Amino acid sequence: MAGGGGDLVVHRFPQSKAVDSVRWLPAVSAFDRFVAAAVHDPDSGSSALEVHALELIQQGEESDALDLLPRDSWSSASRISALRCSNVPAEPLTVALSTFAGSLHFLFVDPVEGTIESELSPVAGERWLHSGPISAVDLQPEGRECVSVGQDGRVNLVSVAEGSMEHRRVHDARGLVSYTAVRWGSSVEFATGGLAFGLQWWDQRKPGGPVSHLKGDSFQGMASGIVHSIDVHPSRKHICLAGGSSGAVFAWDLRWQKQPVLLSGAGLGQQRQSPCESEVWEIQYDSLIQTGFSSTPSAKILPVMICSEDGVLAVLEQGKDPIELLAEPCAVNAFDIDGRNPSDVVCSLEWEAIALLMRPRDSSAF
Amino acid sequence: MPGRPSDPGDALVPFSSQVHDPVVYSVRHGLKPPIFRVYVAWSRGNLLHVACLRERTPSESGEDDDSRHPEAQAGGVVVEVQLQGGANGEISEAQQRRIAYGSVPAFALLQSRRNALMAASRMQFSSFRTEWRQYVLEYSSQIADLLGKRKPPETVIDDPKMFVEPLEEETTLKAAWDLVEIFYADNDSKAFLPENLVDWLADYDGLLSATEPTVHSKLVALQRKLVDLQVVEDDPDYWEGIALGLAVGWLDIVVKLLRLHGSYQPDQLDDRETENGLVEAVAVLVSTMPRLRPNLPAGRLGQCYKTRQDFIKAWEKWQGHVNKLDYSAFWVQCGHRQTSEGLRNLLRIMLGQLGSLNGSTYHWMELYVSHFLYVQPFTMGLEGMYSLAQKCIQLKPAPTYSGLTGILLGVLGENTEVVLAECSNIFGPWMVVHAIELLTSENKQAEMLLHEERYNLGGISIEELHRLVYAQVLSSHSLTWQIAPTYLASCQKQGLGLLEKLLYMQPVQHYLVLLKDLEICRLYELENISLSVMKIAGVHHWKHGRKGFGIYWLQQARDEIRLNKIAQQLFDCIGKSISDDSFKQWEGLIELLGSEVGSAGGLEFLHKYRDFKKSLHNVQEGATVTAARQSMQSLVQLMKSPSTPQRFWLPLLHDSVKLLNWRERPLLTVSETNLLLNKLQELSIARLRPDFADTELAPEALSSVRLALATNLGRAILEDC
Repeated sequence: MAGGGGDLVVHRFPQSKAVDSVRWLPAVSAFDRFVAAAVHDPDSGSSALEVHALELIQQGEESDALDLLPRDSWSSASRISALRCSNVPAEPLTVALSTFAGSLHFLFVDPVEGTIESELSPVAGERWLHSGPISAVDLQPEGRECVSVGQDGRVNLVSVAEGSMEHRRVHDARGLVSYTAVRWGSSVEFATGGLAFGLQWWDQRKPGGPVSHLKGDSFQGMASGIVHSIDVHPSRKHICLAGGSSGAVFAWDLRWQKQPVLLSGAGLGQQRQSPCESEVWEIQYDSLIQTGFSSTPSAKILPVMICSEDGVLAVLEQGKDPIELLAEPCAVNAFDIDGRNPSDVVCSLEWEAIALLMRPRDSSAF
Repeated sequence: MPGRPSDPGDALVPFSSQVHDPVVYSVRHGLKPPIFRVYVAWSRGNLLHVACLRERTPSESGEDDDSRHPEAQAGGVVVEVQLQGGANGEISEAQQRRIAYGSVPAFALLQSRRNALMAASRMQFSSFRTEWRQYVLEYSSQIADLLGKRKPPETVIDDPKMFVEPLEEETTLKAAWDLVEIFYADNDSKAFLPENLVDWLADYDGLLSATEPTVHSKLVALQRKLVDLQVVEDDPDYWEGIALGLAVGWLDIVVKLLRLHGSYQPDQLDDRETENGLVEAVAVLVSTMPRLRPNLPAGRLGQCYKTRQDFIKAWEKWQGHVNKLDYSAFWVQCGHRQTSEGLRNLLRIMLGQLGSLNGSTYHWMELYVSHFLYVQPFTMGLEGMYSLAQKCIQLKPAPTYSGLTGILLGVLGENTEVVLAECSNIFGPWMVVHAIELLTSENKQAEMLLHEERYNLGGISIEELHRLVYAQVLSSHSLTWQIAPTYLASCQKQGLGLLEKLLYMQPVQHYLVLLKDLEICRLYELENISLSVMKIAGVHHWKHGRKGFGIYWLQQARDEIRLNKIAQQLFDCIGKSISDDSFKQWEGLIELLGSEVGSAGGLEFLHKYRDFKKSLHNVQEGATVTAARQSMQSLVQLMKSPSTPQRFWLPLLHDSVKLLNWRERPLLTVSETNLLLNKLQELSIARLRPDFADTELAPEALSSVRLALATNLGRAILEDC
């Protein structure tokens, strides 16, 4: 496939509606690759989840062009606020999405055809999980259990079994606290993030509230902000990585709770240039660059990819200068690294477009 | 708003006064007639709010009726009506937005380059002319790329019968932009204006008229016909097609068509040798026609001459060859009548005979271009070009009005107002705003006209007016409002005010939109706006029960007044006394308030209270004197603080009775005890007031506290002694 060696290749696919979020669907074969996108059209007031197939189009002898072809779509009554896919290839694939109206839906996608086979939605009349928008959801890798958080301060667990949803309220802060990000750490633990750069670690075995807190005011000389995205690496479960306002990206080590490590942001000082100064909308560990993975001391933060409001898609590594992959004139609202081919990144741009980046496989080329 | 629809003559921004067919929108209100009143109001963008109200008839006001028809109870309904996009049906709305997005970087870059040049040259702009020209040309080509990229001309399969490409993605908008670019941006092309117009017509001839025939439409029809035609040279359409192509200078098509002539067939070559020789001679003459231009794109025919002298020499020589062929004796030997007539017509066109040119063109633009090719191939001034255009229009008056030719006439007549009005009329504000950059780049007169501040426009220039209008259009759509600031920032007089208004008016319901809004405030250093927006958001979230979010935004806005107000309401929620269990849920909120007490306003009580409770808890677990002393200190702090509500005084004191009666030594000094006693006294007086909210503590609580304080006072006095 194009981009196997050499330079970074960027494809842009205009969409003619706002793209709020994009995710790779885990690929069963190398030929069927699908991207799920949450779209919104303000002119007609309609929202939908669209499944696009990534296809190679023969164009003469030399150049092959990639195209993103719509495969299936599911229309949502309210704008989609968060989107997650299970990341283990399975039959069918589970997609969890939440809406601004506060409902949570599961879609089951055929991994070969890319069509939406069935859906699980809240039964009409039943009280919704959240009052007001759900700000974030996260799925367990196999897609059976989902955690959702909202601005209403509720934390809910929803499990999917045999065509039905069962939900359990883990916590209800009754609006006194709002949560804006969530991420599973293990099968029983998860991390949430909220206002004033606060992070919470929850353990289902210990009910009654979060197990530990990170206070947002631990940073010196940095304006307070909101956490937008969290990631926990499967091999480093004690480190909770978060990105948020003012370009802040920080790691919270549960073993040394008092001192979060700043990777980017205004508080970084003069030592290194911060790749961005505005909202960091999403962060993910970058699994492509893993130099000497086993030999790195466990306190070192693994490389992380971020996207931001000022149009930057970059990779940060502790103690190194950031590598800028994209510098768009508009915001990059979301991105996803393909689990199978970590060199491929899909991202959604503010100006109604999806961009596909294919990085050279050999990370030493950077 | 600029302009009143009732009077197109007075309008500052020209709008089309042509009456289109009315569009009927049906409003599905679902109300039972009769409708009593209808209100119509603008919403965002092209959305109308239509409120339909119905009058209650006396028969319906009875309760039985209402219960039988629950839907009849609605006294009215508000319906949203989406108006369809404007007159420009050629480009979809999504495509228009794509163009709007794409032109932002080019526009912003040009503005910043202009500012940089201005600063460097200290108002002597002329010294940077060449640099500036280069920038404008770059800008223009960026925008042109956006409007549609030209396809590579070569096709893989070379079909001899395919010679003209149907119009696919060419739009009038791109045609207009190219036209403006030729005359205003591309300075190098000024010397070769006629040839540039020939090229322009080759690209966009089919757009000149949708109803009347053009050279392009005729050639497309011929191409379709040729597929089924065996002997092409017998058909008059074949010869007409060649003449049409030649008249407008599409030499490659002419040669391609000539080579389809039957005499090239191998089996006929022997019989028609002379005929074939004549066809070939004409084809060679056509393909070697001298042209006054620096170069030709691949696949186009002709010989280029850069300088006038070389060209004139070559031109005269070529005309000589054409004349020679015209007077040749071979014509008599040519057996095929249509061929000899058709070929001699081509020669007449090449010799520039007006009758043949006139007969081989449809639209006046085509005749105009044929003049440049065969009658007056040298550059003349705009004035000469304008009078020639007028002459062509007289010869071939266009039955339907075309905006493109309107723009061309405006350009030739050096009438900037006409160019702008035509651009605005046909293509709307996007075109005007972006084309102004080209119009003013070279032309001093246009620059003065567009940059002059006008009293009747409220002190702004025409350029600024159009930018403001365009920004308004952008800000009315929820997907494009974020690019409006770029244009508003380039408006010196009223841009900032409108920008503030735009940012101020954005919806605050969702924090993601709000953060995008605040980001723009940060970029343009509009701190006061971001503070007000955060205040609005804070109150909004507070009212909708998201207390944490509300407090967060108010804290960010450093709005102490509202925080104090909110604090009172919040304490009402806490209840009359704070039990340890119910206080647990407040922990998260207190975390949010952070350690900086100053920013929390009245809410700092919560913070101090939590600290007090914690230390009290510590004392109960392991009672050291320092810990006990510390918690008494926080009690005094709490009691001193004006933000501590009065109704919490007694519970606080009651909680610490155990410490007041500390066995080893008194924990409070005399003055501290006096302070607490005073507070207790104040409380006792307040209890007499009717509006006092009593606590749920036992009635003897007050006296037990008083006793403890009194004991403590006595012990403290003794200790001091």
